[in-house]
Amino acid sequence: MTAANNQASRYDPAFANELYSIENGHYIKQCMQCGLCVVTCPARHLMDLQPRKYFKAIQAGDRDRVLKANTPWLCTSCNLCTVRCPRGIPIIDVMHGMKLYLAQKQGVKSAPGALFSKTFFDVMLKRGRQWEAWLTQMYFLKAGPSAIKDALKMMDVAQPMVLKRRLPLAPAKTIKGKSQLKKIYEKAAALAKEGH
Amino acid sequence: MAYTFYPGCASEATGKASFISFEAVVKALDIDCHGEIPDWNCCGATLVANAIGDFAQQAIAARNLALAEKEGKDILVACSSCYLNLAWTNEKMKTDPDFKSQINEALGAGGLSYNASLQVRHLIDVLVNEIGLDKIRERTIKPLEGLKVACYSGCQTVRALRRPDFDDVEYPVMLDRLVEALGATAVPFPMAARCCGGSQQFTNPELIYDLTGKILDCAAENGADVIVTPCPMCALNTDAFQQKIAKLKNKEYNMPVLFVTQLMGVAFDLKPKDLALQYNIVSPYQKLAKYGVKK
Amino acid sequence: MTKKQAVYFCTGCGLGEALDIPALVKVAKSEFKIQDVKEHPFLCGPEGVALIKKDIEAGVNTVSIAACSERVCYDVFNFGPSIIVERIPLRERVAWVQEPGDEDTNMMAEDYVRMGLSRAKVTELPEPFLVENPSKTILVVGGGLAGMTAALEAAKAGYDVVLVEKEAQLGGWAGKVYKLPPLVEPFTDLAENNIPALAKAIEDNPRIKVYTGATMESIAGGPGVFNAKIKHGGGTAEEKVGAIVLATGARPYDPKKLTYLGYGKTNVVTHAEVEEMAKNGKLKEVKRVAFIQCAGSRDPEHLPYCSAACCVETLKQAVYLKEFNPDAQVYIFYKDIRATGKYEYFYKAVQQTGAVFIKTEIPGVQVLEDGGKLAVAGKDIILGEDVTIGDLDLVVLANGMQTNAAFGEEVVLEDAEAEAAAAKEEEAAVKLDQIIKSNMLNLVYRQGPEMPALKYGFPDSHFICFPYETRRTGIYAAGVVRATMQVPAAIEDATGAALKAIQCVEAVARGEAVHPRSGDISYPEFNMNRCTQCKRCTEECPFGAINEDEKANPLPERTRCRRCGTCMGACPERIISFKNYSVPMIGGMAKSIEVPEEEEEKPRILIFACENDAIPALDMAGIGRMKYSAWVRVIPLRCLGSLNLVWISDAMSSGIDGVMLLGCRHGEDYQCHFIKGSELAEIRLSKVSETLDRLGLESERCRFHQVSIMDYYRIPKLIEDFVAKIDELGPNPMKGF
Repeated sequence: MTAANNQASRYDPAFANELYSIENGHYIKQCMQCGLCVVTCPARHLMDLQPRKYFKAIQAGDRDRVLKANTPWLCTSCNLCTVRCPRGIPIIDVMHGMKLYLAQKQGVKSAPGALFSKTFFDVMLKRGRQWEAWLTQMYFLKAGPSAIKDALKMMDVAQPMVLKRRLPLAPAKTIKGKSQLKKIYEKAAALAKEGH
Repeated sequence: MAYTFYPGCASEATGKASFISFEAVVKALDIDCHGEIPDWNCCGATLVANAIGDFAQQAIAARNLALAEKEGKDILVACSSCYLNLAWTNEKMKTDPDFKSQINEALGAGGLSYNASLQVRHLIDVLVNEIGLDKIRERTIKPLEGLKVACYSGCQTVRALRRPDFDDVEYPVMLDRLVEALGATAVPFPMAARCCGGSQQFTNPELIYDLTGKILDCAAENGADVIVTPCPMCALNTDAFQQKIAKLKNKEYNMPVLFVTQLMGVAFDLKPKDLALQYNIVSPYQKLAKYGVKK
Repeated sequence: MTKKQAVYFCTGCGLGEALDIPALVKVAKSEFKIQDVKEHPFLCGPEGVALIKKDIEAGVNTVSIAACSERVCYDVFNFGPSIIVERIPLRERVAWVQEPGDEDTNMMAEDYVRMGLSRAKVTELPEPFLVENPSKTILVVGGGLAGMTAALEAAKAGYDVVLVEKEAQLGGWAGKVYKLPPLVEPFTDLAENNIPALAKAIEDNPRIKVYTGATMESIAGGPGVFNAKIKHGGGTAEEKVGAIVLATGARPYDPKKLTYLGYGKTNVVTHAEVEEMAKNGKLKEVKRVAFIQCAGSRDPEHLPYCSAACCVETLKQAVYLKEFNPDAQVYIFYKDIRATGKYEYFYKAVQQTGAVFIKTEIPGVQVLEDGGKLAVAGKDIILGEDVTIGDLDLVVLANGMQTNAAFGEEVVLEDAEAEAAAAKEEEAAVKLDQIIKSNMLNLVYRQGPEMPALKYGFPDSHFICFPYETRRTGIYAAGVVRATMQVPAAIEDATGAALKAIQCVEAVARGEAVHPRSGDISYPEFNMNRCTQCKRCTEECPFGAINEDEKANPLPERTRCRRCGTCMGACPERIISFKNYSVPMIGGMAKSIEVPEEEEEKPRILIFACENDAIPALDMAGIGRMKYSAWVRVIPLRCLGSLNLVWISDAMSSGIDGVMLLGCRHGEDYQCHFIKGSELAEIRLSKVSETLDRLGLESERCRFHQVSIMDYYRIPKLIEDFVAKIDELGPNPMKGF
């Protein structure tokens, strides 16, 4: 190798193939770079790689950029790109897959979104239902001291919500079938792992 | 048509007003919807798939479908995010045999199965297409004449199936029709199915300020008195964050955000406790005073 | 035939309210002495038609219908081949575009009645020109995919076929490939090469006579009576055929011209070479491959056009590589992937194999040596940075195609060139057709031995307006000889050409014209006594329908004729005419217009409008109830190419204030249905302008506009602008002389 040496990290099929094999990852291959997702995405201005370029970077196996990109964590699940994509890529599902991959790879503390999603899931699995006040507390607790500052910034929003009883501090009901739910989840997670 | 109700977690907290007014409207319109899915669980919202993947989340959502199937009645959902998760999972169960058998394998671990025999219906769909606007017009005792409403359907309401469902995926109109049947005026509202930022309040608050700010601006620019939505997340962001966004943008919105069932309750002249307006953060009393609403 | 005329005025569709019908009846009765004049409120209804039929039974044989445009209800008002029907379009061209009840409106309607009746007076029933024993055999030149498809389709429809292939066996380029791209739904899986099966089906078909190792020595005659001489096995075979499908294919662009993309380096190959490697199992060892798209195509220095097939060919070969070696990694450097139509699904399927697509600029990529292997370097436009893909076993150039019709010397018609040079001194001349001596047909035509090229050497016509029509009647080009295309398109093209060939032989057998005047049985007749051997008709015929003898007398090959009348417009002696379309007939219509005295201040403007686009545009303006000046009178022409200058000078000398020509777009992307008619008319008009100048009449009194059917909304503006110009110039001083 001479001519290609300086570009060794680009176009790494091994990394591309690794991502193609995650849940819904194979859809990334069929992106044709039309850019409709970019003009659609409400969060595009905050993304360091807008969806089209994000997919291109995956196709190119550009490990550094993909692993650093905040793209999936900004996805709001609004579903508009998924409805519009002319190639039928379920972009929202791809983003779910990427977020799961990144959380597993880099740890849930690597991104606020990963931690929040994981906390949400933990509360939900334990109780069967969500308890929003508890979720909030748990999240900030796990996020550590730096997040407390963020939490304080939110007090002006949280206070009226508590006052208006929209964030009840008393625990919500738990479900009876908690262990049933857990079994279903565990089986599903195992099946999903098998699937790809 | 008979339904089993899926309230969703928000019904117990941020969307309490939706739940209360929903029950009252169901009674007022004599909708055959008695009782919740027994022991229902969280659908996963927009977050669980991030933590465990789509398939596992859909298996969790499918537990509700399986429980409902025992009741034998279609599922009625008022929360848009819950609707998306349940309706999309249901759609895949109906159309993808591999998916169906895999999900049933997972459900089997909990002693359940789902044969995909039910329909999952959104409240707006049922109100417009089953109950009918005529009946709603008939039931309207206090027509909301002169009230200008920005009808904010929200993303999850109309894009659950990723194709036109009961309404257009980009420019929904059903909520407008419904609001008009109550005697109010639906103002042009091009952001009717645009994102408020969803559940990123803690993880990307800037995004909420930006996107919800655009929704509020659009409603204000089009002369709306109030925003009406079926979605608890849309309602939370536009209502609870309104003051903060107004301050950030140096603006004054004073734009009450009502659940559609709350507005229906006003037009139906239901009792104040059924309207559940005490949960609203931006006070709606002034704007609704001329329709007989008192604090 | 002794004419027994009748005139029918319809008063429906608002005509009765807008027009003073009794005044129009009076024109017919007193000026044209026709006594059989009737009115009906709904002439196209059963009762109205019955009224006409009753009169026909009583002996009427020339029916003038003053109602709607000739473009509507033509089926309702068809009373068989022995009845002359003249249409006077009072609805679209008067009542719907003028103020109802106005004096000028009625004067306009009266003039339309005069024009129609003056034409009805002189027109005659055409009789078809029938050739003896016309052949219905179809000659297919070229035995590749398109040629074989055309042959089989024609045979399946019950026609005898002669198939000529220059190679020793059938198959052409497609016969040499390993596999074909997807041909059926869902357009994701490669098709086995079915060319041997097609060849077998042809050999087994008793209707198809195959000459392999054969070329065309010459083709003389015309549709129905082509005499084809086939050089074959050291001798010459002769076949009489009715129509011809030209399917001689294309060839890959010469890779020797692609050294700038690395051709010449070891393991830099073309698509064709990859097919060979695939057939010989040599792709097994190939692990890393880069394709370079648009190698020569869409490059002004090489092939300025898109070769249409190479994107899909590359996708196909990317699948081969995976087939032979599942670990193969494919990189595709492209400008745009043009996998059109349902090949979008194929593109998507190939993406799913993991092939990497790199959008770049070509030229702009470089092929480099990389330690015994190859590397391709270029700019990744999407990532916005330079990229080098190294360690490559193979670099494939998607080298595009060139029509076989483009190879050969350009034909120079000696006398035509001499005349063109002479003409240049006087005025602009129509650009001569480019004819390349590709040795495919060897036509015995005055206009040269092969089909004229449209662009880049492709013998195409304006395909959108006139699919499959070439500029030589009865010869239909199909497949990649005509235009670049993908495999399914070539199959469709060949099927379409076979159908056109069948239509042609059937039309010839009935003595009818082919597209665009399908079904027309009139044909030009030459009054040779007065011919001056000027050769204008032989030169100007856009279809090569007029050969000439050694004394330059025109020798019409009637079955090549498309009845446009360009020869009639060209002839300075006015010796060419049709039974139902002639110089005196149209001149008579123009002269029948009543020109008011100067002091009445009612100018008159004559519009000669092409029947193909300008008349429909005028009708659409009428349907849209657009209003325009009441001074204009419209005469439809078969094609502006049939415009004879004498009409303009006659009109001017009878006091008409201005003449406007409305014809099709010409030049690049021409839309003239007869290819050169409108261009010729504009050139002729430039000549008349000089004549007018000499007469002291302003040349601005004549104007030419190119209009397409979609320009209907411009019609009122074009007319108003011209009326304003005429107002400015003042009345024609020849009025009243």
